[in-house]
Amino acid sequence: MSSSHKTILAVGFLVLMGAAAGLGSYPVYLMSLAMINVIAAVGLNMLTGNAGQISLCHSSFMAIGAYTSTLISAHWGLPFWVSIPMGTVLAGLAGGLLGAPATRLAGIYLALATLGFLQIVQITIEELSSITGGVRGLNVPKASIAGTELSDYPKFLIIGLSCAAVIWICSNLMKSRVGREFDAVRLSPHAAQAMGLSISRIKLSAFMLSAALAGLAGGLQALLVGFIDPVEFGVSASLRHITFIVVGGMGSMGGSVLGALVLSALPEFLRPVKEYSDLIYVAILLAFLIFLPRGLITLLTSLMNRVRGIGRAAGRT
Amino acid sequence: MHPRLRLDALSVRFGGIQAVQQVSLQIAPGEIRGLIGPNGAGKTTAINAITGAVPVFSGDVFLDDTRITGLPTHAVSRLGIRRTFQHVEPFSELTLLENVLLGLSSTMNVSFAAAALHWTSARSAEKQAIEESYALLERFDLLPHAQVRAAELPFGLLKRMDLARALASRPKLLMMDEPTSGMSESEADAAIRAARELAEETGVTLLVIEHNMRVMMALAHSITVMNQGKVIAEGSPSQVQANPAVIDAYLGEESDASR
Repeated sequence: MSSSHKTILAVGFLVLMGAAAGLGSYPVYLMSLAMINVIAAVGLNMLTGNAGQISLCHSSFMAIGAYTSTLISAHWGLPFWVSIPMGTVLAGLAGGLLGAPATRLAGIYLALATLGFLQIVQITIEELSSITGGVRGLNVPKASIAGTELSDYPKFLIIGLSCAAVIWICSNLMKSRVGREFDAVRLSPHAAQAMGLSISRIKLSAFMLSAALAGLAGGLQALLVGFIDPVEFGVSASLRHITFIVVGGMGSMGGSVLGALVLSALPEFLRPVKEYSDLIYVAILLAFLIFLPRGLITLLTSLMNRVRGIGRAAGRT
Repeated sequence: MHPRLRLDALSVRFGGIQAVQQVSLQIAPGEIRGLIGPNGAGKTTAINAITGAVPVFSGDVFLDDTRITGLPTHAVSRLGIRRTFQHVEPFSELTLLENVLLGLSSTMNVSFAAAALHWTSARSAEKQAIEESYALLERFDLLPHAQVRAAELPFGLLKRMDLARALASRPKLLMMDEPTSGMSESEADAAIRAARELAEETGVTLLVIEHNMRVMMALAHSITVMNQGKVIAEGSPSQVQANPAVIDAYLGEESDASR
């Protein structure tokens, strides 16, 4: 991406952030949720799309981030801007804990191991009800800055800035040595090793990075919604994350953003048929896997190339 | 002079099968050594044992008098032993430039934080790696394809990419597994010329597995012949070619030697 594109994106982002001040609290809330989904999708896509490691427990790392930040705020009275980063770090470490054995597994075995991890986290939350509130959930302490309680718009700004920072950092990573090594592990572990790359170290860093971002997304979600319960972080949330990256485009930063934004808007349109929303998600997932396995981002790039081609042709005549 | 690579009675077993039996050899720095033998002689298995891709049953491997027996593949590679593959193993969805950059990856000193925050150190390391990779692509006549994905390119061209990628980190020893397989006669000649020039220029030691005797005669300083897991002859190309045991091994199984 050229620097002029970046400037356009950055200005557009700032305008959007400012314009949102004029919107009602519900659209602002929805946009905040969408950006949280973007953070989660970016994290999962680097692990699955780039490093090629399937994970069915991305939502568990969100849970770890959400519960950690909430409990730290509730028990130690620490502000959200301390507790959310702590949740992020703890989720990253938990990702390392899962990643260490998981680096030895592949394909269906890895999928099963991550599903097992999801169950462990779910059951732990449900059983430790004296701490986590169990299935009844937990109220998140009201976040405030300098004694002023945060309303939806400041929360939106915090989430927006976090999301922008995540996209910037992860684009840097994916364009660097780190991203190429993730791709190398997916495409040919055999050759990667011969190039002096340690497969297990790379997989482990992919797991930790992905889990940390899920943890951040979880912490921000707790901040925004004000209430957490284990159902939010179950297997259907994990499936939703996978749908984001498949619909957007596996292994593509733009794809993560696009997929998460488009599918975050979807529930609004599905409200009349709400009971069937899980079914519709799965149908979308299957349709994309079959008809557009590389995701919406390929449509967007070919469209942009065509526009550019028309522009060039017009310039010639 | 101390040998660059030394194998001491190296053996590899798969279950009851002795794929490599008590193979000993020494390769001097800067030497181009051929490793030939009929199919199933254990040549590729020997290379795999040196790189740690298959476990060593007994015996030892030394690089510059450092024992490297049983080290993991990536560690062996980092010590300066690189290989090319018979079937190339490209990173198919990446461009040729990215493939070669990955060859350099383990020598790039870029921390996670520096890469994430786009620090100057990371940017300059990336820039330098890209320049080096372009130079390599140019030397192997691959510059026009630098931005093309490996999956879209023909096999002979990918063979050259594999070589460029393996040389990117300036290894001490390069092991080439059938570098001319799948190439036309003229492509093979060009590849051999390039390999020879390169060895002379950079001083890299080469261990070359090759079926094509004509290629081997033109390239190698000396040749080791394996059959059924054992070394059966060693010497200059002409000595080896005249060795009755070698002729027997080849004619007994197939007539590759006459090709």
